[in-house]
Amino acid sequence: MEERKASKRCGGAFPFIIGFLATCVLGWAVIPGLFFVEEEQPIWFSHAVHVDGQGMDCESCHYFRDDGSYAGFPTNEVCAECHAVDPEEAMEAIAEEGIDPNDYDAIMKAEIGAIEDNLASSDEKMMQAEREYVVKYLIQGKEVPWLNYQYQPDNVYFSHAAHMNLSIEELASLKKELSDVVDPSVFEGEAPEQNCNLCHLKDIHLNDEPPAFERNVLSGYSKMTMKMWKCERCHALQGQPNACYTCHK
Amino acid sequence: MSVARRTFIQLGAGATVGILFTPTVWKALDDVSIWTQNWPWIPKLKYGATEAKPTVSKMCESGCAVKVRTVAGEAFGTMGNEDNPLSGGGICPLCANGVQVKNSPTRIKAPMLDGQEISWEKAKEVVTEQLEAAGSKVAFISGDQTGTVNEVFSALLADKGSDAFYVMPGDMQAADKAWTGMMGGTGQIGYDLEGADLVLLAGADALESWGPTVANLKSFAANESGKFLFAGPMQTKTASVTSKWIPVPAEGMAAFTLGIAYYVLQAGKTVDTADFGQFKAMVMGDYSPAKVEAATGVKAERMAALAKDLLTASNPVVVPAGPVAAHGAAFALNLLLGGAMKALPEFGKAVSGAMSRSEMLKADVLEGVNTDLLFVYEANPAYALPEKVKAGFTVAFDCIQTETTASANLVLPTLHPYERFDDLASPYGVADATYSMGAPVCKPSVNAACAATFVLGLADLGFETFEEVLGAKAEAMGADMDSLTGGEAFVVEGETPRAASLAANVLGKAAAPVKGTGAVGLVPYTLLNVGTANRATTPNAPCTISNNQLMGDHMVVMMGSTTAKQLGVSVGSKVKLSGGKGECEALVQIFEGVMPGVVAAPLGLGHTVGDEFSKGKGDNVYKILTVNSEAATGASSWAGSTVNVAKI
Repeated sequence: MEERKASKRCGGAFPFIIGFLATCVLGWAVIPGLFFVEEEQPIWFSHAVHVDGQGMDCESCHYFRDDGSYAGFPTNEVCAECHAVDPEEAMEAIAEEGIDPNDYDAIMKAEIGAIEDNLASSDEKMMQAEREYVVKYLIQGKEVPWLNYQYQPDNVYFSHAAHMNLSIEELASLKKELSDVVDPSVFEGEAPEQNCNLCHLKDIHLNDEPPAFERNVLSGYSKMTMKMWKCERCHALQGQPNACYTCHK
Repeated sequence: MSVARRTFIQLGAGATVGILFTPTVWKALDDVSIWTQNWPWIPKLKYGATEAKPTVSKMCESGCAVKVRTVAGEAFGTMGNEDNPLSGGGICPLCANGVQVKNSPTRIKAPMLDGQEISWEKAKEVVTEQLEAAGSKVAFISGDQTGTVNEVFSALLADKGSDAFYVMPGDMQAADKAWTGMMGGTGQIGYDLEGADLVLLAGADALESWGPTVANLKSFAANESGKFLFAGPMQTKTASVTSKWIPVPAEGMAAFTLGIAYYVLQAGKTVDTADFGQFKAMVMGDYSPAKVEAATGVKAERMAALAKDLLTASNPVVVPAGPVAAHGAAFALNLLLGGAMKALPEFGKAVSGAMSRSEMLKADVLEGVNTDLLFVYEANPAYALPEKVKAGFTVAFDCIQTETTASANLVLPTLHPYERFDDLASPYGVADATYSMGAPVCKPSVNAACAATFVLGLADLGFETFEEVLGAKAEAMGADMDSLTGGEAFVVEGETPRAASLAANVLGKAAAPVKGTGAVGLVPYTLLNVGTANRATTPNAPCTISNNQLMGDHMVVMMGSTTAKQLGVSVGSKVKLSGGKGECEALVQIFEGVMPGVVAAPLGLGHTVGDEFSKGKGDNVYKILTVNSEAATGASSWAGSTVNVAKI
């Protein structure tokens, strides 16, 4: 009898509601965040320093190759046009100093002339970032493993050339329909000449501190990886084909 | 307890229902499904600039001028180089698979001494010791017919007091022995297949495996008004697209050619050599159409018709293949006709002390090699010359595993052609002296090195790297190295050939058909997709090998129905072919394009070492070839090989 009374006191819909509300709160507010871990870019890169400071334009690094393919991230070859450290000369100097070429900290601390004399930056923070790039990647002949916020897996074929003529100004009329696909703030204010903002971080050319890359712990993809339904939505609104082979070659 | 349990169940039920009203479960399911795109064994694409970089490929015997397609500096495909006359945009089946071979699991990844991995420094020590111990008893077998690497290798031999430089047997060697050896000519013989108005391919399977196959195909396509004829024991793929196939036994090709020369001489054609009279007397006396018909089975009227065609043509050419006598007879006929045969000047040497090309072709590997120290460069004598090569210590340079590397004491991995500097000087058969060069188009993927640079480190030959040698080569010929590595060819026009002699005495004896004692004649033939003496078939090629060469793991031999009846076999019969010092097993296919009394068998199968595409596929026909010493010339030849065939 006692147990039955206790059961009535603690029973009813209350525990169910508590459980329901608790997981609702967790499921909406807490758990989604646990799907992602934040990762920093391999080195500090400031778009603002290059665009504002050096007067470079987007095409200096991000350009269409002669065959129409798109060079997303610049290679060492492109970077070395300005960061003119001779890898051979630098490695020889490192060997002369008796430093292990894989000991990056020691190389950076040694202030080797073949490197230091050719750094383009003046500010200490920038110089350190440039030094890091030169020591860890340029003279080692390794490309920087940039983290791609808009990463797409190999099974998706995305052509920048096919999308280069999309106009933000014209797409503004579809702002409502595209609200789940494109950040609505992209359509605010005067439309920029180029349409990069449609998919990429808005106004990235003004960015000084690269935002953290949010990696999905299950899929490994970026939080900003565009899902298939988003591609399909925009294709449908634009009257473009949505057949599998359009993107999966 | 029961209260707590019930509460817990209610709480759990609420939580379960609640979680379904959040995106958590659905997102987790979605992410897990996406995760399945990332199994670790799924290859990752490489992203970057796509380029087509010109270079040369040495997988086929004549070599191909190619463009290697790369993405972010990594090779992923090969195509022809339309800027180079050797290619004209075409590519052979072997070189087309260059990337697949480069990335093959059978790639040799590091120097190996008696099966143990060693460093390059240790390898150099070992070779240096062996060289000192061997003295002048050192030899080289090169599988490269056209490269300046041979200059480096022959210079090393000269430095050690040896002249034992060998190439793998082939038409280039037979042609040189006939032209510079027998007839006192200079330069390398070439054939203007594009400019000729009548081409008699006397055994030369020019559109499939003979000479610069790709350039031949381009010439054939471009020569719309020219007439092509094929003579040989089998209707090859080349014969299938020529105007006519004339069945001629392989051992009778020289006599057949002299039988045609009979009519040409009768028509009053002459050559300005001291022994012309003797030659004419020899042909008119010993190679009259009746005698040739009796010896070869080719009707006299057929030879007369061919002679008439050749005489009425304004720029005819006869293209031989096979033994030295067949080449000598064809050269003599070409000199009488004065047509499209050319003599190509040799490009200047880069390495002093190196042999000339003709000197490199003098030693006869089929006579056998027995030495203290043997270097083998990208050749496979253990496969193609069974029991012919013996050495106290063998150093094998190659980029992939072969029967030769498996039996060598020291294996030194060479860079793949796409990873190294290399060149391609006048492959045998081209009409003009043509030089092409290749620079690395991608980084080495294994611990390999340039064989020539390694050899340069063994003696003071005047250079430290092979790149320097090639620079000197370009300078010696007056060519621009940048243009060459950019894919352009340096071309010097072929000249009118002049012989000192028609070798009447030698040719008269050597041209007489000699056949073995087996039940039927053996016609070995090469298809580039099946493989060559040095290179097995490549990863993408097996799907192009027809049931006439390979069925399952069984080699297929072809014969006419009368031959099959004579042997008591039919389509699909399993037979054992015995000849030379070996035996082969095969299935029978009936093909009326094979002369009666002859069995046609594909070369290049039956590897015991290699990848899944070549190892254990078919049987090795080289085992059943008979090496004959040609009368008067003394040259070794496989022509006239016969086999006994037993049903099993």
